[in-house]
Amino acid sequence: MTHTWELEVRQLSKRFPDGTCALQDINWSVKQGETMALIGESGSGKTTLLRLLNRLAEPSSGAIFIQGHPASDQDPIALRRRLGYVPQDGGLFPHWTIRDNICLVPQLLQWPIHQQHDRLNTLLTLVNLDPGQVANRYPIELSGGQRQRVAVARALAADPPIILLDEPFSALDPLTRHELQEQFLELKTQLQKTMVVITHDMTEAFRLGDRITVLKDGCIHQIGTPQELIDTPATPYVTSLVQHI
Amino acid sequence: MSHWFSDNPHIRTTTIEWLQNGLFSVLVFLILGGSVFASSGNTIIVGSKNFLENRLLAEMFAQLIEAHTTLTVERRLGLAGTHICFQALTTGGIDLYPEYTGTGLVTILGDPPMHDPTAVLNRVRSEFRKRWNLWWLAPLGFDNSYALALRRDRAHTLNIRTITDLAHVAPTLKAAFGYEFIQRADGLPGLKELYGLQFHKVVGMQQSLKYQATDNGDVDVLDVYTTDGRLAVYDFVILEDDRHFFPPYDATALVRGSTLEQHPELGKVLSLLTNALSPARMRELNLRIQERGEAIPHVAYDALRALHLVEDDDQVTTTTKNESTSFLSYMWERRSTLIAQTGEHLGLAGVGLLLGIALAIPLALFLERWRKGAETIIRVIGMSQTIPSIALLAFMIPLFGVGVLPAIMALWIYSLYPILRNTYSGLRDAAPSVVETGRALGMTEWQILRSVRLPLAAPTIMAGIRTSAIWTVGTATLAAFIGAGGLGVPIVAGLQLADMQLILSGALPATILALCVDGLLGGIERLVRPRGLEVSQ
Repeated sequence: MTHTWELEVRQLSKRFPDGTCALQDINWSVKQGETMALIGESGSGKTTLLRLLNRLAEPSSGAIFIQGHPASDQDPIALRRRLGYVPQDGGLFPHWTIRDNICLVPQLLQWPIHQQHDRLNTLLTLVNLDPGQVANRYPIELSGGQRQRVAVARALAADPPIILLDEPFSALDPLTRHELQEQFLELKTQLQKTMVVITHDMTEAFRLGDRITVLKDGCIHQIGTPQELIDTPATPYVTSLVQHI
Repeated sequence: MSHWFSDNPHIRTTTIEWLQNGLFSVLVFLILGGSVFASSGNTIIVGSKNFLENRLLAEMFAQLIEAHTTLTVERRLGLAGTHICFQALTTGGIDLYPEYTGTGLVTILGDPPMHDPTAVLNRVRSEFRKRWNLWWLAPLGFDNSYALALRRDRAHTLNIRTITDLAHVAPTLKAAFGYEFIQRADGLPGLKELYGLQFHKVVGMQQSLKYQATDNGDVDVLDVYTTDGRLAVYDFVILEDDRHFFPPYDATALVRGSTLEQHPELGKVLSLLTNALSPARMRELNLRIQERGEAIPHVAYDALRALHLVEDDDQVTTTTKNESTSFLSYMWERRSTLIAQTGEHLGLAGVGLLLGIALAIPLALFLERWRKGAETIIRVIGMSQTIPSIALLAFMIPLFGVGVLPAIMALWIYSLYPILRNTYSGLRDAAPSVVETGRALGMTEWQILRSVRLPLAAPTIMAGIRTSAIWTVGTATLAAFIGAGGLGVPIVAGLQLADMQLILSGALPATILALCVDGLLGGIERLVRPRGLEVSQ
């Protein structure tokens, strides 16, 4: 079968030097344009999976394919520039202005200045921020919600085909979180990017994910659409999770 | 004798240690080929310890050589104690300095004290020549030995004339002794053993302070040097050493054999001073410097002129202390000297600090990449901070001689730790989540270092440099101990003369300098602090 997955991992395992096993023999894939929610408790291996995708960590065994090509064959730096990334706390550089933060990857890719400038305005507008107001400010001068929008804009800056989001909204207050989730869904339909969203909140997984991967203790319990998880939970753990919806 | 200007108790060294030091020095000297030392050519370097009589003798040697030879004389006066002078001499940092036979015997050779002056001289002569090719010239004619003294009225009341008399009443008395005297075998420990002396209380005190304390009646007994000029001023009684405990301390020039070989005229010229100075004459000369504040070169010139050893021309005008001048006008009078000394001071501290920055920051960058060994290396460098300054300076002499170079090296070593520790910690702990994000977005490690770690660590690094700068400016006063100049010179000289104005004239600029440097670096610290780390107003 030559159906190309946007992201695919085969028999992927990750053991740490201290012997703990973060992922055990994972087979997992994401379609182009699909949003995959990764849910699990802390220690379930979801962050490890994400770090293996952009090669911040290397697998102990198994293979990873990004757009059909083995990740191990690609230069990690070039690979990461094609994968957008949004960390939990936004990870904005505190000593850089919003403009510099957003233009990070375009600058690394040495885009012409005017193109960076145009991109900055487009992106800020896209995440509902006023370029004139925020571009020259520092992260500390923005609210948590605004900072997280900037982080999303930064991940989108060089127009990467794939975006990885590590609990992007969990540090926000419920109201802001809800608002950002709504905007995320709008962006999703608008941009049609392939996205992997880590969350520990089942409600968020159900709202954002086209499909959901349930991870526990380094093993996949189920991969399926929200409806499939509700209708045919594969394990008692999945059952216990969907009960709270 | 070797009046150390030091409260460092590490004074007694065994013969074996001295031999090891000697071997080490020779080795280093061979490796460096002696190139860093100036003892070649037609320059003679005269050293001295850092007390007045020794400086005066060294100055007399220097003027004598200048008057009777074509040699150029360089003065390295006020080196911190016997160990440093001796090290400098064996390694060629200096060519000669005034030394005392008893010090040679007890402190340098580590032999037990002997009583007969001729036996002591013969012993040090043969041993020094054999071991280090150093030559003791003929004694100058006076013996500057230790003695115990009391205020005359106090001695009278207690009815004491000899040290044996003193031993009977000692348990009721308070004594102030020099730090070295308390330690030396030919000082208090030996006295205790021979005379059974046991004082009610013994306090360690600076040479010039002892006299005041005794005169005020704060303490009863003190140790004195028999040629001390102050004995002519204070009404003290010197106790008879009735059991002949104190070894003879005949003063003379101790000279490198190789220098004498190269400049045979030197031995002839210096021997003009053989038996030329009586103890009374020395007390008088010392008094002129100690109490009347006359300049050492002037007193040295007068003494040589009285011996008809220099021409009667180029009279030096007498400069005596004017008690009535206010401190400000005193400072104003000394302004050119002070400005020069401040310049030297800033130069020493500045070069030491810059070298420290130049080594510590790259080292921290390396250690940040190689964290396995980081803590060990930083701790080892941290230990260098615990070496007492005098000891560190002493270690420098076999390597770099005396003068500016060893002072800078010592300051360099002292400046390393705060910069290294802060740079390393600052880089390592700089916002880990932000660093990780940079990496995830495709920054190279170099880009992360340059654009994230360094700017975020800059305030911490600057704080380290600031600590180091204050420390270096403070420590640079010690450069005076190895003849490197700076604001330590008036401080050390002032301590010897108990001249508060002189001490302040060095201490005050040093303090102001430290404050200015701190202020300047504080400004730089604010400049390098990235915007965005705090809410702008």
